[in-house]
Amino acid sequence: MRNVIAAVTSAAALLLLAGCMTVVDAPVGTYKVGEAYQVSLGRHWADVSAIMLDRSHGVHVLSVDGPLLNRLYLSEGLGAGDSLVKSTVKEKPTPTYKTDFSPTETVEFVADSVAALGYQKVETSHLRPGRFGNEDGLRFDLVAKTTDGLDVSGSAMIAQKGGRLYVILFLAPTEHFFGDAAPEIDAIMNSVQFHGV
Amino acid sequence: MRFAKLIAGVALALSAPLASAAPVLERQPHLRPPDAGSEEAGLWDATDKAERAARASGELDADPELNAYVKHVLCRVAQEYCDDLRLYVMDRPFFNATAAPNGYVEVWSGLLLRARNEAELAFVLAHETTHFARNHSLAAERHLKDQANGAMALGLILSAGMMAGGAYAGVSASTIANANTSIINISYLGAVVSYFQFSREQEAEADQGGFDRLVAAGYDPNAAASIWQHLIDEHGQSDFDAVRKGHAAGSIFNTHPLDGERLSALAAAAKGKPAGDLGVERYRAAIRPHLTAFLRNDLLRRDFGETLSLIDRLMADGGDAGVLGFYRGECFRLRRGPEDADRAIKAYEAATTAVDAPTETWRELGDLYVRQHDATKARVAYHAYLDRAPDAQDRWLVESQLKKLDQSEGT
Repeated sequence: MRNVIAAVTSAAALLLLAGCMTVVDAPVGTYKVGEAYQVSLGRHWADVSAIMLDRSHGVHVLSVDGPLLNRLYLSEGLGAGDSLVKSTVKEKPTPTYKTDFSPTETVEFVADSVAALGYQKVETSHLRPGRFGNEDGLRFDLVAKTTDGLDVSGSAMIAQKGGRLYVILFLAPTEHFFGDAAPEIDAIMNSVQFHGV
Repeated sequence: MRFAKLIAGVALALSAPLASAAPVLERQPHLRPPDAGSEEAGLWDATDKAERAARASGELDADPELNAYVKHVLCRVAQEYCDDLRLYVMDRPFFNATAAPNGYVEVWSGLLLRARNEAELAFVLAHETTHFARNHSLAAERHLKDQANGAMALGLILSAGMMAGGAYAGVSASTIANANTSIINISYLGAVVSYFQFSREQEAEADQGGFDRLVAAGYDPNAAASIWQHLIDEHGQSDFDAVRKGHAAGSIFNTHPLDGERLSALAAAAKGKPAGDLGVERYRAAIRPHLTAFLRNDLLRRDFGETLSLIDRLMADGGDAGVLGFYRGECFRLRRGPEDADRAIKAYEAATTAVDAPTETWRELGDLYVRQHDATKARVAYHAYLDRAPDAQDRWLVESQLKKLDQSEGT
């Protein structure tokens, strides 16, 4: 009985804590990704970072219709040992970035991070060169499924600069939501400007 | 972690002996509960819902040949219950199988990867069939209802399961209140599994019943003890303390408590019995088309100690040396411990001598040689990769690596 009461108390405390977290506007225009770089938003987004408990520190998450329908991850620049997705269970570690990753390993890092978010059957395709601001980078597409079988598509752009990994990753259900946002996502990826450049 | 503790705490509260529960008779084949209002009908309704979720799940492995093969093995041991059981292979990299009261059976890919032969798989399926035949889930529910707070506890498990599922899918607690039906279904499945934890007595009974079915079907009796022994050995090599102690989420030992007594009983039961069918070749042939996907999925757990133990065991049996050797190298490459780069290179190099080595083996070798500043070997490996995979989507990337090597040598 004591265990049951403790569990109820923990659950209630967690829900109260979550209720204090806020979603803030990310209006049309410049969106700063920490001190590292900025992007231009062509439509009104919501910054849902505060309620995305599994994102790592320095990772921003934006959404238009809610994180189940579209989510855009923007990393400030991951250093050695940093992850895109925070591990919530010790026995389920999430991928961590290493500064000597090969280009293939950076793609694998993003794909495995998507899997760590709970997506199933994550596959990457259409690997191609990309420009992350003024840096050479990689672009690629993803497909996956949610645990309940919904098809999800993704688009990612990554670059390594000064020992840090910069990631922009968009995920949305394949039906309607991904295609609907694709032009905006391309525009955001093309708008990256590193600060101080 | 706190979700896991929450669930574990509730499970602990429910894990008292089942002595006070009313006895449950063995079920008759082809029988649905006649009374829609009965407690058994309620259980069927709950597991019908879980089955619908499994059918739509992104984790479902719908490969018809694999499903037909596993169903064939299931029917060979389930016999009179064959028509009552509906099988679903799920791509989950953990060793587990369940048979729900309504006849819905899940077999996880982690089990298929870990069984060394058909007889070992058959024993686990026979064990689950015994849980089904003896209505162990119904006994568990009666036990729960005997507890003063049973109803509240079940509700709490369902809520906790929902929150844990939501957190893992990247949804915070504040959005769970608005979660759609699909999210609820995902977690519902996990909650139902948590609900039906079996007692040691029921496990021993399922072992004995499973063993009898295994032998009656003509399989090798030693497979019963050997599959549990392999699993215990593998858990012992885990990178994580909780897994080594058998307490980790997803571990079969959470829902199927296993101890030395059960293992000894199975080994003793097999003593003196004539050897039976192992079905090694049949099993490897059925699993081979899925081996790469299963191993890739297993690596996502990032428990390299367990995966290495598993691969070494499978390699000892012979066959699939290229694929197994490549994933042995992958374990070291991803783990990145001291000397792991050298170990990875050795594993990849060994894999390249086998006919079934994946083409990626040469690319990974190239990348590791680059990291070790061995431009000559890197160049050879990259060219070997491009020769084998001329249409690879990363051809341009490997070519640019080669160009960089040429440039760095020219300076």
